[in-house]
Amino acid sequence: MKYLAIVWMFSMSLMAASPEVVQYMNELSKTAKAENSSFSGFDAARGKEIFTSTHTGKQGKPMACTSCHTTNLSNNGKNSLTGKVIDPLSPRANPQRLTSTKEVNKWLKRNFMDVYAREGSAQEKGDVLTYIMKN
Amino acid sequence: MRKLLNLSVAALLLAGGVYLYAEDEHEEHEHHASSFVAKPMSKQEKATVLLYQKECGACHFAYQPEFLPKRSWDKTMNSLNNHFGTDATLDPSDHKTIQNYLVSHASKNDRMTGMGGEIAMRISETPNFKHEHREIPKKMVTQADVKSFANCASCHTKAASGSYREREIRIPNYGSWE
Repeated sequence: MKYLAIVWMFSMSLMAASPEVVQYMNELSKTAKAENSSFSGFDAARGKEIFTSTHTGKQGKPMACTSCHTTNLSNNGKNSLTGKVIDPLSPRANPQRLTSTKEVNKWLKRNFMDVYAREGSAQEKGDVLTYIMKN
Repeated sequence: MRKLLNLSVAALLLAGGVYLYAEDEHEEHEHHASSFVAKPMSKQEKATVLLYQKECGACHFAYQPEFLPKRSWDKTMNSLNNHFGTDATLDPSDHKTIQNYLVSHASKNDRMTGMGGEIAMRISETPNFKHEHREIPKKMVTQADVKSFANCASCHTKAASGSYREREIRIPNYGSWE
């Protein structure tokens, strides 16, 4: 029993997201399945494409997540408008990341709007979180 | 005396105030400083200031609310879905707390005289700001290390604690402002 608990704790730490955020992703997964019957789980490769591709953003100009966060998620980013330094997005480099559903929700909404000029779907949100967790 | 002055200023800043427009020669007069009475912040007020600094300061300098009047803050907070071209929406509870904080600490002066009825959205649009910065060459502001007048703390080294005294100014690549 004790052994199981240790294994469970170890696997949680490998997930690089807090239980609260893991729970949030499970809910995203259910929504994604309801919206698309062929959905079979989140995919980091799709998440990478979402994160690194350039789109016409809210301001009508080319914009990507990497415009501020850069392509190396372990490094600091920089707000492309204000110049303010952004802490690394990778939970490995910055243990504060992916620990609060409230924060995750807020930034996903804002940043999809800024880069895609629309909100992300449940599948897109889960894919991009999976990509961030693995980087 | 200098020590007393600094302590008074520190106490004022802790109370959430802004030490503004003090000419350095005025700072030497004790009566100027000793007239400040700092009210300690309650636990809740401290939490509100921290929330404001965390949420708004995530993307830009957390401007002290005293720099704009109520109607500017209301307009800003009522348009966070398009905040200078970005989505800066907050959850409803945080939104309410921050709007109340900004409005209750807003400038009592309108600050927009001469703006032809416009409501200032940027502190740098207000006549007072323009007057205070009128002698600054453009190249000092547009350089990469400053970017724009929005980055108070690039030059005002104690801006984060609410102090904007002239002798604290260090303009990147140029130095102090005489």
